[in-house]
Amino acid sequence: MSIGRDDVIHVAKLAELAVKEDDLPRLVDQLNRIVDYVAQLDQVPADGASDLFLPGPEQVALRDDVPGSVPLARPPAALAPEFADGFFLVPRHGAMEDL
Amino acid sequence: MSAIAVARETAARLAAADAAGLNATLHWSEALLQAEAARVDALPIAGPLAAMPIALKDNIVTIEAPTTCGSRILDGYVSPYDATAVRRLRAAGAMMAAKANMDEFAMGSSTEHSAFGRVRHPFDPDRVPGGSSGGSAALVAAGVVPAALGSETGGSVRQPASFCGVVGVKPSYGRVSRFGLVAFGSSLDCISVFGRTVDDAARVLSAMSGHDPLDSTTLARSPMAVPRALPDLQGLRIGLPREYFPADLHPGVAAGMERTKAALRELGAELVEVSLPNSKFAVPTYYIVAPAEAAANLARYDGVRYGPRKVGPAGDIRAVYQATRGEGFGPEVQRRILVGTYVLSAGYYDAYYRKAQRTRARIADDFRRAFAGGVDLLLTPTTPTPAFRAGEKTADPVSMYLADIFVCAISLAGLPALSIPVGRSEGLPVGAQLIAPFCEDERMLAAAGAVERVVAAAEEVR
Amino acid sequence: MTWETVVGLEVHVQLRTRTKMFCGCRTTFGDPPNTNVCPTCLGLPGALPAPNAEAIRLATRGALALGCEVHATSVFARKNYFYPDLPKGYQISQFDRPLATGGRVAFDSPERGRIEVGITRLHVEEDAGKLIHDRFPGKTAVDLNRAGTPLAEIVSEPDIRSPAEARAYLVTLRQILVYAGVSDCSMELGSLRVDANISLRRPGDSMLGTKTEVKNLNSFANVERALEAERERQIGLLERGDRVAQVTLLFNAATGQVRALRSKEESHDYRYFPDPDLPPLVLAPEWIADQRDGLPELPEARRARLEVTYGLPAYDARVLTSEVGLAEYYESVVGAGVEPKTAANWVMGDVMTTFNETGAFPVEAGRLAGLVTLVREGVVSHQAAKRVYVELAQRPGDEPKAVAERLGLVQVSDQGALTGWVEEVLAAHPAEVARYRGGETKLMGFFVGQVMKRSQGKADPKGVQPVLQAKLG
Repeated sequence: MSIGRDDVIHVAKLAELAVKEDDLPRLVDQLNRIVDYVAQLDQVPADGASDLFLPGPEQVALRDDVPGSVPLARPPAALAPEFADGFFLVPRHGAMEDL
Repeated sequence: MSAIAVARETAARLAAADAAGLNATLHWSEALLQAEAARVDALPIAGPLAAMPIALKDNIVTIEAPTTCGSRILDGYVSPYDATAVRRLRAAGAMMAAKANMDEFAMGSSTEHSAFGRVRHPFDPDRVPGGSSGGSAALVAAGVVPAALGSETGGSVRQPASFCGVVGVKPSYGRVSRFGLVAFGSSLDCISVFGRTVDDAARVLSAMSGHDPLDSTTLARSPMAVPRALPDLQGLRIGLPREYFPADLHPGVAAGMERTKAALRELGAELVEVSLPNSKFAVPTYYIVAPAEAAANLARYDGVRYGPRKVGPAGDIRAVYQATRGEGFGPEVQRRILVGTYVLSAGYYDAYYRKAQRTRARIADDFRRAFAGGVDLLLTPTTPTPAFRAGEKTADPVSMYLADIFVCAISLAGLPALSIPVGRSEGLPVGAQLIAPFCEDERMLAAAGAVERVVAAAEEVR
Repeated sequence: MTWETVVGLEVHVQLRTRTKMFCGCRTTFGDPPNTNVCPTCLGLPGALPAPNAEAIRLATRGALALGCEVHATSVFARKNYFYPDLPKGYQISQFDRPLATGGRVAFDSPERGRIEVGITRLHVEEDAGKLIHDRFPGKTAVDLNRAGTPLAEIVSEPDIRSPAEARAYLVTLRQILVYAGVSDCSMELGSLRVDANISLRRPGDSMLGTKTEVKNLNSFANVERALEAERERQIGLLERGDRVAQVTLLFNAATGQVRALRSKEESHDYRYFPDPDLPPLVLAPEWIADQRDGLPELPEARRARLEVTYGLPAYDARVLTSEVGLAEYYESVVGAGVEPKTAANWVMGDVMTTFNETGAFPVEAGRLAGLVTLVREGVVSHQAAKRVYVELAQRPGDEPKAVAERLGLVQVSDQGALTGWVEEVLAAHPAEVARYRGGETKLMGFFVGQVMKRSQGKADPKGVQPVLQAKLG
């Protein structure tokens, strides 16, 4: 499988990354190099092992439904790039209004 | 010595390291160090790490200092909460000395991918200290701090420990809380430790280990005990996986391994050859699993709630996302996000991600089998070569990935492993890696303490 | 030409917990924006999720109440997409290994009689935050108080065949979930949300047509209206020979129209994968069995039992079981000694009026029983008892008898008093007296009414008649 220019543009859009036109050819080369490299996993037989390997606990521990969360030393207003009247603000977007 | 005095000396050493151009720190201040010292001196009982200054990789959050992960996208970000590991170290009496430079979001093996400039190798400024925890490694190697926290996703502590000639310990996955460690590859990430000695590293690990209800992937176990170095290794069987000793191994590294084997035999250990046939797939497996998890973990950097915001020409929310992320992430991080998004995208999941998961299970199974076959520990080289030159591997991402060829599989299997210095090759440190079964961290550290005692780490090999 | 309507519903209900799905922040509704937030639900660097046991328990109860199989192992997965209300850039949900699968909901279809709709799956997930578009010019405001609230998503099979049937399904589903204590299921507060999928096909076709999804449905009535509108739209397309495009539509309740949402590019590639922050959710079979045993009697079973045990008409049993509180109240009134049908009449009448207005049962069951006894013993008339009830609802601490006395509603059966009123009435109506004595005995009712009127309703009607007969005879 090789990655083309359109694939990179598609994936960049999914990942919300602005990719400069000038950087595209180099990115296409590098991603192909990486994907070709990882393609050697095709040699691994499909039999035997399970699909999900987890190194940690075998099952999740559940938390009691008791209020109490990690406190914030600074409020959201102190972190946000744009904030007013208790809200984070972002530019308004046509499609956003619909949901 | 009082904590205040230690703080003053540490500040002087940090200033000297910065002046020497190591570029190993991203943030520290005399005022913060003094505040830490005052806090330690006020503790009712001196903890096990009383007044020990510890540097933190800049992906471990603290309330007082910025946490940037070596990235423009977190430029100026100061966390409103502390990492569990930091809280526990402070409770044990340690002082947070500095935030250490790193490859951006821990993606790299040379600490050349920091948005804030590369870290120099303390012994040779033209070489890299390894990565991604290169700043932490350099600070310990330069004698600035006795211990530092790094983080491992695929060898990011053991590899720089080997390059810099210090001890680097990665615990079993789940023994140290990740709460407050900025996520890269969540199923692989482990806060890990650099120390001048095995004992320093073990004490730090012990203080921060143990179950954390805030991290669902921590094990329901009590904190790790600090093991005493074994007087000898009588009765211990140490496996040498043949796949980790290739014919083209760097001669200095090969000689370092011979010295280590001799030391182990001298201590009474029995050496046996074993095989880990799937380890050859570790690097490609890692470069699917880690980027896939990273692509999701790094989606939160969107310019909405924190961090600097950039807005593209369209001026809408997509323009915020794309410009903030496109300008905020460096090239290596962008490459990995793209690869990670690609391997999870519709039509490719089975070909890449599912296959990688399956291979990961096989890799882990190899280790399980080797240990079940009567081997107590495994010995391998930590890296294929000593520290390489800056710029040597930046053009080809895959060549950089191969610097982690001996450390990656262990991360995939979630096992404890460490690197200890075993000699010098043309002045550059060479490290040996010990690997233990899951949650046998103490056994590994006790054995490493014995090796450390007998091996001439500061001397040229051969 | 006729078309068969095929509808499947995705219902999100908020689980009744005190804290969020993956952090200890409160789920309180209506607090100032961005105050119930912490590192985890803000998606801060380094924060991690820790799942809420109560959310898992409630979702399990919901699944069992819907007859689903709850799986011993299920897996949390990340659903990846960018949206300003989604702090982490992914939603923690469940994908290929959900909590539960394969249930059913039985109900009376308005068109087809008794039917069953299959439940494909029930899984747990976290809610997103809230976006506000009309508060700051040119800006969208983000409130993350709701982000991370625990939800169960309940997906039905495409077994529903009409908009009215969709509504009936929702009414039944809601009833079951409220009975089981899983959720408040309040559409006003957003604790129940519906997305509807609809397609058309020729009767007898086994293949499904292209479906569209209708969102933004804020009441059961609007689900029905929106599906009707979309069915008409699709019929129009198909009968013109056009094709139905797979789109997401929004329902405008003001106009009754659906309109296509600008298609969100790439939005369907969610790149699900198991969340590496969360080991598998493993539930012991004994624990699942305990949850099943701990389920309350569900509406269906309760309705049947009320019919059999108390000999109630089917209609009464259905009304009384429409709300779990109503059924509980009814049974405690019966338990306090009231004859079942009498109790049903009271609960379906005055009690339900108060309940619909206030959502509460202010008159304790024992007091209502006392009031009913007063009627039976002739202490107050039925009409007077209704006035006493209204007063009791205002002053729940008072005793019925005392209230009746205070209001002067206690019936008078004293012979002297009755005789006095009777004599006054007979004196006032000599013509009617003559006609009665002439054989027009049906005038008895008239005289009783006049006595009641003169006594201002206080005369005991049972005592009045004998006195009248004696005087007239």
